[in-house]
Amino acid sequence: MFFEAVDFSALQLPPAALKLREEVRAFLREEVQAGTYEARLGHTEFNTAFTRKVAERGWIGMTWPRRYGGRERSYLERFVVTEEMLAAAAPCAAHWFGDRQTGPSLLRHGSEALKERYLPAIARGECFFALGMSEPNSGSDLASVRTRAERVPGGWRVTGQKVWTSWAHKAHAFFVLCRTAPDTGNRHEGLSQLVVPLDAPGVTIRPIRFMSGDHHFNEVFLDGVFVPDDRVVGEIGQGWQQVTSELALERSGPERFMTTFPLLVELIRRLGTHDNARAQEMVGRLTARFWTLRRMSLAIALVLDPGPDGAGGAAKATLDLGTEAALVKDMGTFYEREIVEAGRLLCDIEPDPDALDTFERYLAETIVASPISTIRGGTTQVLRTLIARRLLGPLK
Amino acid sequence: MNAPNDVRAMLVESATRLFADHVDAKCLENAKRDGWSPALWEVIEQAELPRISIAEDAGGAGGSLSDLAAVLRVAGRYAAPAPLAETALLANWMLAECGLALPRGPLAAGIADGLTLRRAADAWIVSGELHRVAWARMASRLVVLAEAEGEPHVLMVDPAACEITPGRNLASEPRDHVRLRDVHALAHARAPVGVDGSALRLRGALARSLLMAGAMERALELAVEYARQRVQFGRKIGAFQAVQQELARCGGEVAAAVAAALSAAGAVERGADACFAVAAAKIRTAEAAREVALIAHQVHGAIGVTEEYALHHSTMRLWSWREEYGNEAQWAIALGARLQREGADALWPNLTASDGN
Repeated sequence: MFFEAVDFSALQLPPAALKLREEVRAFLREEVQAGTYEARLGHTEFNTAFTRKVAERGWIGMTWPRRYGGRERSYLERFVVTEEMLAAAAPCAAHWFGDRQTGPSLLRHGSEALKERYLPAIARGECFFALGMSEPNSGSDLASVRTRAERVPGGWRVTGQKVWTSWAHKAHAFFVLCRTAPDTGNRHEGLSQLVVPLDAPGVTIRPIRFMSGDHHFNEVFLDGVFVPDDRVVGEIGQGWQQVTSELALERSGPERFMTTFPLLVELIRRLGTHDNARAQEMVGRLTARFWTLRRMSLAIALVLDPGPDGAGGAAKATLDLGTEAALVKDMGTFYEREIVEAGRLLCDIEPDPDALDTFERYLAETIVASPISTIRGGTTQVLRTLIARRLLGPLK
Repeated sequence: MNAPNDVRAMLVESATRLFADHVDAKCLENAKRDGWSPALWEVIEQAELPRISIAEDAGGAGGSLSDLAAVLRVAGRYAAPAPLAETALLANWMLAECGLALPRGPLAAGIADGLTLRRAADAWIVSGELHRVAWARMASRLVVLAEAEGEPHVLMVDPAACEITPGRNLASEPRDHVRLRDVHALAHARAPVGVDGSALRLRGALARSLLMAGAMERALELAVEYARQRVQFGRKIGAFQAVQQELARCGGEVAAAVAAALSAAGAVERGADACFAVAAAKIRTAEAAREVALIAHQVHGAIGVTEEYALHHSTMRLWSWREEYGNEAQWAIALGARLQREGADALWPNLTASDGN
């Protein structure tokens, strides 16, 4: 029914990935010891110095072809780097979207000029991307975006408003999904993706503060911003297909079930050696669920793995496992909250955002961040509708 | 290594055909009365399914533990009323590991903490009690693990020489009480390293995880089919988002159960950290069983709880199997205690340790 092509009993990582894991662990151990970053949960930190160090090791854009600054490594190796970063609560926000979403999208759909312009800079940890998808009246219903691009000599003139644009105030450019042709009835037609530098004339960025007071979300206003033709990603009018394949690609990664994992580690530390069957049962259950989610996520990464020939095979695989990716995201995001719940029920402390103790601070951070993961990247309800459609098929 | 295995695909296909052809409504109804289907067992034995994963030179049919796991998942999907898991994964495994001959016929397997074992002349004599032994009353032989002088021994006895009091689980599968009074063992061997009570319990838990994964697949199939047919308020109930959301959740639980059970089989086969993997699989499949059974019933409405409708064959088994060989709470406490003992910083290395072996 699901995962039909996957042999879970034989699912393993190749030796290169195991070796890489040790390298990443050693690197992160050193960084933690040197105190180069403060581990935080809830949302990852924007730390350009850390991003450069990761880039120096070749771990940004690592699956891309060498000619674009990549290392031609496998998706499974990338999976290992991502999960090690998450396990260590490393600050990856600066390179996150470029590495995970816009880079792969440029690689698949972008012109040669766009690839040469952006990919090597992303891989060097020098160019940071944000995403301009949601709008005030387009949340889950992405096809209803109203930001418009009008044809002008040599390019497009873009007007509209984007919201929830994480790190727009620190990134260099963002992908803008906009309407390049009027809505003629088929809402999935006439959409396009453009690369817009965030310092372009006509771009205004305003913070939207998260309820904790943190600033990572923004609203971005585009007021007649000129975008030359060479910044169009893929084909004009193909934006919807491009965006949905990106979404499927990003749905099943370890970030969908690991963002509160360091809290589980600290919970075990806090439990110490005290013999408490209730705590042991909770930890046992949470670990079993984690192990299972990871097996499913690994299975998808394995099928996505395009092998040595580059990104060619990835598109087809994405379509085949899109529902499975939605399943992992749906279950993973609920799972993350279960760790938070176990932490608060077992330890009985008042959440304190200024706590000095790591466990206590993680707990406060994850409680406040807990509504987010089931909203971004496809809400629970949208995902479940997608999954049910696959199960039920067409209903006559 | 990670590619779908063609031989296994053929094996699964032929096992699916076998169970589909021989397990129908009548077979399952009769099995409730008789405890099993002797006719189904004949077919299973002819197909050599109970000997998969036993080396050919030990009298087996070859193949890997993962091959057997794949077949058990199918057996669970069809609610096959026959002791395939007990014979293949438990009894034949113990016998083959000890170099003992594999008898024909269905076998039962037992772990006996309370058995006493003594030697008289050239025979081993066993006494004691075994509780809720699966399929004991129809087994041709009973294979038990018993300790003597602190060492595990494997013994094969004739159930006819034991006092058997029939019992059953919720699905009317035999779970019998067996009393042994000075029963002469038909075969005996000192158990080699790796064959002991905890290994047998692990394999028992693995068997139930695999059977549950299959049974959940069937429960989901039935619920989906019902939602595609049943009309209320002038629409197929599958068209209602409230129903769709529940089916999607059910689908996720089933996918997780399948992933966990098969992954654990692979870990046992490779000799990786089987304790960790099987504990995780039994916990996750038992958790999923609860959700899947209840959602499948909810989607069906009242028809699902009747004896004439097929759903209960799957759900009654799920509600039984999740307790057998330890429920999710017992395994979770054991796993949690181990993780606590090994410490916080061992959690992540533990979770990633079995990636490559």
